[in-house]
Amino acid sequence: MLSYDYVKCNDLRLACQELEEGEQVYLLAGGTDLIVGMRGGKFSAKTLVDIKDVPELKVLEEDDRGITVGAAVTLNEAVVFAPIRDNVPILAEGCHSVGSYSIRNRATMAGNICNASPAADTAAPLYCLDALVNIKSSEGSRSMPIKDFFAGPGKTALNKGELVQSILIPRPYPEGKGVYLKASRTGSVDLATVGVAVQRWGEEVKIAIGAVAATPVRAFSVEKAINEKGEKNYADAARLVHDDISPITDLRGSREYRYHMVEVLVRRGLEQTLGV
Amino acid sequence: MTEKLVINFTVNGEKEEKEVIIGQTLLKFIRDELHLTGTKEGCEIGECGACVVLLDGKPVNSCLILGVELDGKDLITIEGLSKNGELDRVQKAFIDHAAFQCGYCTPGMILAARALLDRKPNPTDEDINEALSGNLCRCGAYQEIREAVKASAEKK
Ligand SMILES: Cc1cc2nc3c(=O)[nH]c(=O)nc-3n(C[C@H](O)[C@H](O)[C@H](O)COP(=O)(O)OP(=O)(O)OC[C@H]3O[C@@H](n4cnc5c(N)ncnc54)[C@H](O)[C@@H]3O)c2cc1C
Ligand code: FES
Ligand code: FES
Repeated sequence: MLSYDYVKCNDLRLACQELEEGEQVYLLAGGTDLIVGMRGGKFSAKTLVDIKDVPELKVLEEDDRGITVGAAVTLNEAVVFAPIRDNVPILAEGCHSVGSYSIRNRATMAGNICNASPAADTAAPLYCLDALVNIKSSEGSRSMPIKDFFAGPGKTALNKGELVQSILIPRPYPEGKGVYLKASRTGSVDLATVGVAVQRWGEEVKIAIGAVAATPVRAFSVEKAINEKGEKNYADAARLVHDDISPITDLRGSREYRYHMVEVLVRRGLEQTLGV
Repeated sequence: MTEKLVINFTVNGEKEEKEVIIGQTLLKFIRDELHLTGTKEGCEIGECGACVVLLDGKPVNSCLILGVELDGKDLITIEGLSKNGELDRVQKAFIDHAAFQCGYCTPGMILAARALLDRKPNPTDEDINEALSGNLCRCGAYQEIREAVKASAEKK
């Protein structure tokens, strides 16, 4: 059995203090990545700081800035939150595609992005929505665009002593449909082999893709063809996605398969959001 | 390093105070310390659902939770579903529909189904699929399981 200290936090200040002062301190949110990772030897923690009941992190609200999802809000709570369902359903889809119902009763959006898997299912929707990550430490607060938060496989832009307090989906919300299309080996309980988010914004689209590079990426080549050059042939536009990605071969699929599937899913996403 | 902590919780309606080793999963704690072996151990990585219990009424994978996280919470295991010797509606329906062969997945399936019916008394097929999405049955009794869940809904 692994041995470490466990600290249950009921206020944010204390959690920040633990992070700043300790060595090998890991935050425990839903634990669905952390506990599996510790058992597999991926993380070696001296202290776990349990933040799941910190009141400041349970915030789930909408105001004139947008929708704020606190770091301790579970994915199931986010999926049924009406402002998310109604205004940014692409994010509800991304959250809903994580694991299984019982996993989503524990798993959080913050944990999903902090684990920084390039395949994180909430990431591609968050990229398309220009989400902001609100970061907190004993020193103060800062926020950064989601695209700057992902720094590499398993790496985030967080400095020592910092934690994610919440994720903001800013207004204005997109006008038009958005879809998250995930290819995986099984219907549920599997990471994405590739995950493609296509969000219409009026006459334009934003496209983000997971599991095809060291971090989630935007498909700028495809976006440019559609948004600037007015490309109407979605199959041709989708083919350009090859310039935006650099997938690898792993147990979920080969590099070639990923190239193929991304192209297919981008085309489908364009059809479903812009109309055939 | 603190090796053990004292936690207070409710298990199947009874208040308990117990020591728990930090680092022990809730699954091991339930089986080895509370001696409630109806909760099963399968994959231990959150993929099979054999270990599902209800924590504050919600189905969760006890292999991905630490025993210490039980502090202050309300735990229901399969042993806690029957009332005064009378099986829960879902349990009866599983028997009536022969919704198992080996039975290893059954405790998790029944608890996940019970929680579904508590939040949606008349679930659709899609609701049932979603609620049981994390519960695998290696014997392949899925058809009968879905029938049993539907039947227990209708009996309400
Ligand atoms: C069976 C199974 C299936 C899964 N399927 C999917 C899937 O389909 N798609 C998918 O994307 N993921 C999947 N996952 C991975 C996981 O469930 C998600 O990434 C989940 O969102 C993680 O959230 P958590 O709250 O459980 O994170 P935790 O495990 O608690 O934390 C993850 C990491 O982030 C750190 N952390 C947590 N919160 C914060 C914070 N506020 N600030 C800074 N650091 C923090 C932790 O220290 C840890 O390193 C699956 C996992 C399992 C076990
Ligand atoms: S033992 Fe917990 S999900 Fe398999
Ligand atoms: S009855 Fe054997 S695993 Fe489901």
